[in-house]
Amino acid sequence: MSRAAAAGLVAVLVVLPWAGAGEYPLALLYSTFMYATLAVAWNIIGGFAGYLSFGHAAFFGLGGYATGFLLVHAGLSPFLTAPVGGVVAAVFAALAGYPCLRLRGPYFAVVTMILGLAVRAVVLNLPWAGAAEGLWMTLPPWEPLAARRAFYYAMLGIALVTALAGRAVRLGKMGVGLEAIREDEDAAQSIGVPAVRLKMSALILSAGLTGLAGGIYAYDRSYIHPDFMFDLHLSVLAVLMALLGGRQSWAGPILGAVVVRLVDELLTVRVGTEAARIIFGLGLALVIVLLPDGLLPHLMRLRRRAPRPPAAVPAAVVRP
Amino acid sequence: MLVQALQALATGLLTGSVYALLGAGFSLIWGVAHVINIAHPALAVGAAYAVYALATRGVDPLASLATVVPLFFLLGVGFHEGVIRPAARRAGDLVLVSMVLTFGLAAALENALAAIWGPGPRVVNVAYTGQAIRLGVLALPVPHVAGAGLAAVTITALYLFLHRTFPGKAVRAVWQNRDGAALCAINLRQVTSLTYGLAVASAGVAGVALALIYSFSPATHLTWLVFVFLVVIVGGVGSLVGAVVAGMVVGAVTNLATLVIPFAWAPFLLFASLGILLLWRPTGLFRR
Amino acid sequence: MGAMLRVESVSKRFGGLVVLRSVSFRVDEGAIVGLIGPNGSGKTTMFNVITGFHRPDAGEVEFTGRPLVGLAPFEIARAGIARTFQLVRPFAGLTTTDNVAAAVLYGRGVRHVHEARAEARRWLRYVGLEDAIDTPVGTLTLAGKKRLELARALATGPRLLLLDEVFAGLNPAESEGAVALVRRIRDELRITVLLVEHVMRVVMGLCDHVVVLGAGQVIAQGPPAAIQADPQVRRIYLGEGYGAAR
Repeated sequence: MSRAAAAGLVAVLVVLPWAGAGEYPLALLYSTFMYATLAVAWNIIGGFAGYLSFGHAAFFGLGGYATGFLLVHAGLSPFLTAPVGGVVAAVFAALAGYPCLRLRGPYFAVVTMILGLAVRAVVLNLPWAGAAEGLWMTLPPWEPLAARRAFYYAMLGIALVTALAGRAVRLGKMGVGLEAIREDEDAAQSIGVPAVRLKMSALILSAGLTGLAGGIYAYDRSYIHPDFMFDLHLSVLAVLMALLGGRQSWAGPILGAVVVRLVDELLTVRVGTEAARIIFGLGLALVIVLLPDGLLPHLMRLRRRAPRPPAAVPAAVVRP
Repeated sequence: MLVQALQALATGLLTGSVYALLGAGFSLIWGVAHVINIAHPALAVGAAYAVYALATRGVDPLASLATVVPLFFLLGVGFHEGVIRPAARRAGDLVLVSMVLTFGLAAALENALAAIWGPGPRVVNVAYTGQAIRLGVLALPVPHVAGAGLAAVTITALYLFLHRTFPGKAVRAVWQNRDGAALCAINLRQVTSLTYGLAVASAGVAGVALALIYSFSPATHLTWLVFVFLVVIVGGVGSLVGAVVAGMVVGAVTNLATLVIPFAWAPFLLFASLGILLLWRPTGLFRR
Repeated sequence: MGAMLRVESVSKRFGGLVVLRSVSFRVDEGAIVGLIGPNGSGKTTMFNVITGFHRPDAGEVEFTGRPLVGLAPFEIARAGIARTFQLVRPFAGLTTTDNVAAAVLYGRGVRHVHEARAEARRWLRYVGLEDAIDTPVGTLTLAGKKRLELARALATGPRLLLLDEVFAGLNPAESEGAVALVRRIRDELRITVLLVEHVMRVVMGLCDHVVVLGAGQVIAQGPPAAIQADPQVRRIYLGEGYGAAR
């Protein structure tokens, strides 16, 4: 996709609410933006660095609880405090992530999954965070359409920031380093890659962006509870979207998010939530087996009819 | 107080045998096939629901073993042949692919169970629920003893199989050195299928034991997953004996801990201890 | 010309197995030094100690006067020591160019990826991989992968290059090319070379100085001719009964 096409798409998305889009399409796009954020952010540590986190819901939920706490106890709107949610998630990632990143491969996956479950268990017992009753985050008395528009723009902004961050990482020095770590961490260190530092940076960035999304989502939801703010299903979804779309690019996860969101919408309407989750579980299993590289590389191969001369590879601007 | 502690210890050892069984099956698959079967505890929960379904029709859990064991054995073999082998052919890193794959399946199974029976907890009541065997000052609940007995018998059977029969020794050979075993003309495919069948069957048995001892819901598999990892990390991926000892230790410690720590914090502590263990000794505390 | 690398009484054990026993030797600046010995004599462990992957139980390692023990591998790489691996370890999912560009970015400290790629392409040409620029690693032969690993090591801008059995698995023509390349590296780029090798012909022809390890200890060191004649060396390679000088 060229720079012009991408800019055009963004322009359309920005204008959409004023062009008369109703509540339903705005809500659908809003959730798609959120999924895209989750997927792109996850991919920074999961796809580029190859450290598959199964606990990203922890960061998401922490962002939501941070804005929730600030709303309930300080009266501050999450539209202002969402960045704080991101920071809280990032700080948590820095503290909890450091020991986790010392593990590799399956052990890292397992320990992050446990981390996600542990955070849920802890928050369930914290009275000042609502414990098992949850937290109410009542919206001001806005008109439904106006509220939809506000959330739409907030999440669009977050998604754009995340996409730009993902792109910057992937195309820049950090991306090369993370990929070297993914391919062979020891060999990477032997050429000067500061593996621990890079992994930590990737995880912190990933967590912060995820927490940002959680901060806004919580407000939209208006009621938060550890069971769905730290839901393992969400962690799994992040993995699925990135794997489905294509782990090696920054834009692949966006494609994965769009597909997942659409399928989810179709399924929930037709078949109900539980059946949708069953299908997602099976879908994850299928995707990892059949499409280990994801969709995007397949699509890219279809588009390239003529083989390019190997030496002439300009750094295309919106190259995934 | 001492009586309470002894009681907790005894009950913990009983439940620990079920943990050991689950851990052993999980370890078998990881060690022999290099697959991390996240769905292992979920399969046990599935078996527990099967027991529940049969129990509501008047079938005693121990009798339902006659259905569960062969069914789960076939399920295990089918899973290996139908899912794992094709996956292994395509996958670069089977360990990670298997994690994601079985993760998805566990999630699907959990939601399927929730769709059929709802998310709430279920309990299996049998003729001997509520009865206890008196052993000096201790009162051992009969269902616990039954479950533990079941687990113990299964583990012993597994041990004898692995150490006294030729197919069992072939499994151990592959467990220790896959390539070496292949060079000795051991049919890897058959051995791995057999291992899968055994492991999943053992998960089924664990599910029956679980149904006897605990209440369970579709989401229970997550808590059990933590126990399984605790057992495998403490006992080592390669060791059946290690799994047994680790299971007992985990069971005893968690039960004793509930005496001192408020119940609400128990899950967190479990996770914390597993996390710490993983960080300290990712490859397990036991050498093979 | 002083000592670029000084290894002083380095010992290393793994559990009950003593792999290195008070090993001492030095590598002078501008030299090509060979480290030889039967399998299991501790050569690769020595490399791992120098590059920071193992911490010695005793002893010191100094590089241009700077102590290395305790430094992380990436710090040692940045300090100017590069290495290749016995079993090649390229970044399989990256292109040849990016393999080397990673080294330019992190070993030399260049900031921008396009600049690093340009430099990487120059290194690929230097090692003779001009036909494999910007290609996937999977398309390379073993010899090609070894050259790639060499380019990657060189791209970090090292002063000392550790080569771990680079010549293994090469046919005579490839071997000759590799020998010429190593000489160029020392002569043109002024990089000191320490190589672990089994191919004796190469060692004797290429090295200024040879250190022989046997069972974790230094059995002999000196110029190649002296090493070839040394009865101790004969014994550890050929067994008892061959120790007597001809």
